[in-house]
Amino acid sequence: VLAPELFRQQLISAMPRLRRYARSLVLDAGGADDLVQIALERALERWQQYDPQRELLLWLLSIAHNAFLDLRRREARFTVVDPQEAGARQDALGGDPGVDIGLRIDLMAALGKLSPEHREPLLLVTLEQLSYAECSELLGIPIGTVMSRISRARVALRAALDGRPARANAPVLRRVV
Amino acid sequence: MDQRPDDVQLSAWLDGEGSAAERDQIAAWLEQHPDDMALVRQWAADRDALRAAFDPVLDERLPEALLSTARRHGRWWSGGGSRRGATLPGPRWAQAAAVLGLMATGGLIGAALVWQLAARPAAQQAAATGPWTHRAAVAHAVYVPEVRHPVEVSVVEGNAAEQRAQEQHLARWLTKRLDMPVRLADLRPQGFELVGGRLLPDASGPSAQLMYQNGKGERITVYLRRPEPGSATAFRYQRDGDLGMFYWVEDGLGCALVGALPRERLLAAADAVYRQMEAAQAQGGAAPAPGPSTPGRGASLPAPTAQPARTQPVPPTS
Repeated sequence: VLAPELFRQQLISAMPRLRRYARSLVLDAGGADDLVQIALERALERWQQYDPQRELLLWLLSIAHNAFLDLRRREARFTVVDPQEAGARQDALGGDPGVDIGLRIDLMAALGKLSPEHREPLLLVTLEQLSYAECSELLGIPIGTVMSRISRARVALRAALDGRPARANAPVLRRVV
Repeated sequence: MDQRPDDVQLSAWLDGEGSAAERDQIAAWLEQHPDDMALVRQWAADRDALRAAFDPVLDERLPEALLSTARRHGRWWSGGGSRRGATLPGPRWAQAAAVLGLMATGGLIGAALVWQLAARPAAQQAAATGPWTHRAAVAHAVYVPEVRHPVEVSVVEGNAAEQRAQEQHLARWLTKRLDMPVRLADLRPQGFELVGGRLLPDASGPSAQLMYQNGKGERITVYLRRPEPGSATAFRYQRDGDLGMFYWVEDGLGCALVGALPRERLLAAADAVYRQMEAAQAQGGAAPAPGPSTPGRGASLPAPTAQPARTQPVPPTS
């Protein structure tokens, strides 16, 4: 059975935010839209599993999260991001001219250094403004883990932006809790 | 609180998590411990920088490949989804398949697709490069349908005093980020309550969107920006489909009021905004009075000079 028109319209409405999340996760614009493409195709295949009581964006974000995990297993470009390159591409593609470009490249570089396990909850809570409970459900990890990963991600991001190694008691950047 | 909250607790506090009692304890600790406050402010600045870096993606024109994926029927081109687990088609492959499918199935679907593409709203097409009024219309279209996160900083949580504090905080935050006095227009006589506001990217720096809602759930937005020098524009009206907009540019302020309302109702609201901005200018600047601030979910921290919320008497809302 094909997805109804209404569902497809909702999909298009949710697309800007899905693309923003993918961009922040993958950093590279092309790779991010590849991820969005895959998430859209999966959503269209499984539209009957969507519970209209739930928010569509949350459902799409969880599909994108799973697709991201699959892609990381299969393709190196989703595992290793060259943050300098990603920052330069981000600038070439435009964006907010009001933001200091140097800062933005540093931020991309710092974000790229975080392990995906730390990056995802931080982005879901800061960019998408999910609650910890929603984040825990979406990522399939306990709330306590969400809390500690976000806090570690913040400490590590700040350390990277300050140009110093993370403190001795802070997490190693690529280690998973 | 006698013992220092750890990084995990401080971080959760910044995200608006935890019970009211826990939040109060941590807020009290931060008031007494400037080092920890500075740390949390730094995290809040990082959060704002992340949003500023990625929010422009929201305004990008959606790639045609993604739009056509969402529009076309799920399987007619892919030959069934059963083989999908093994190989996920990349977008180039999918695009090629879509084009082939389009050619094969002929005119009907092709014509429908072309019609849909042609029927896209003008505001969406002009999003990337159009004038600022287009950005105001696009920002309206993007955030008004949001059920859960219509605004970045909400002013509708808690009791009247807390709401008042949130409003003052919002006005101060936007004043600081836009680097111009931002006044929150009162549209209650027109039946609209302020929901909150958000920061948006604009060509010349950040701009602000304030959202209002009436008892029927109708929403209008006020878009504020620093104008380019010499771009003064008289009070004007334009309409694109259901969406109407009044806008004007005067010294130091560009303002647009957007809503899917009949012209007269929109005009009444626009007139109120205009008069209030005028009055504020006449008073020599519209900077809001300094006052207490209550950080909520996703809220910015108070400016360093702000007094902590719970130790200050708060004037009630009217």
